[in-house]
Amino acid sequence: MNRSLIVVLGALALSAAVFAGSYFVGQRAGVIYCANPADDLSWLRTEFHLNDAELARVRQLHESYLPQCAKMCVLIAAKKAEIQAALANGTNVTAAAQEKLTELGEVRAQCQGQMLRHFIAVSQAMPPEEGRRYLAEMEKITLGSHEEIEQSMSDHPGHEHGTN
Amino acid sequence: MKISAALKPIKENMNPDDTKLSTLLHQGRVSPPLPPRFQENVWRRIDANAVPAKCDSWLDALAALVLRPRFAYATVTALVLAGALLGAHQGAQLAKQDAQARYVAMVAPNALR
Repeated sequence: MNRSLIVVLGALALSAAVFAGSYFVGQRAGVIYCANPADDLSWLRTEFHLNDAELARVRQLHESYLPQCAKMCVLIAAKKAEIQAALANGTNVTAAAQEKLTELGEVRAQCQGQMLRHFIAVSQAMPPEEGRRYLAEMEKITLGSHEEIEQSMSDHPGHEHGTN
Repeated sequence: MKISAALKPIKENMNPDDTKLSTLLHQGRVSPPLPPRFQENVWRRIDANAVPAKCDSWLDALAALVLRPRFAYATVTALVLAGALLGAHQGAQLAKQDAQARYVAMVAPNALR
């Protein structure tokens, strides 16, 4: 094999290794420097440029919301268990199972309402522009997931509901 | 041993400035006729050899450049800087995504959405 070719290929391999090593070290350093696992609200602070007073207000809202959220989680888990128990003994959706499904939907709706009220309260504790951005982002994350599922169902052949 | 001894007086008697001898030697040289299309064939062979020779020289020039210490140091420095900056940017993005996911999981668990 040509000596020059070996030199050029070796230099390319070495360059790739140097770049990959630097990239890996830089990435680790970036994660360590920017991450703050001790504070759950670190993302809010950096993303929405909150000052100490705004962050303190948001933290207060956050801490008062968490127990309500946990209570809803427990309620939803209980309703899911009831539905599973109602479906376990048969191959049909019984009237009791249908009732439990309706109740689960109601609890979920209550929970979403409570979540949105919390997001609105947090957004009002922020500077107006940042608050609007926060609310849009949270609505997209929390309500958008349902929209994606519904969109994918209507895009799927055989699921064209109401398009006769 | 014997031949060199025999040639020695001849060599001693040779005169490089002897024009008469030079003329005779030139006239005595036999020039065979060139084969047909000789010149064309020569150029064709030159052309055929031109491409690999050019490629080799290109590769040789690159290899020589790569082996130059100043170029090597500059390249390594540039690669380290570019890699570290790109990696740090990517790391910051990852940390941001992770922090966002933690916050969302706390205020809006999947079960509630």
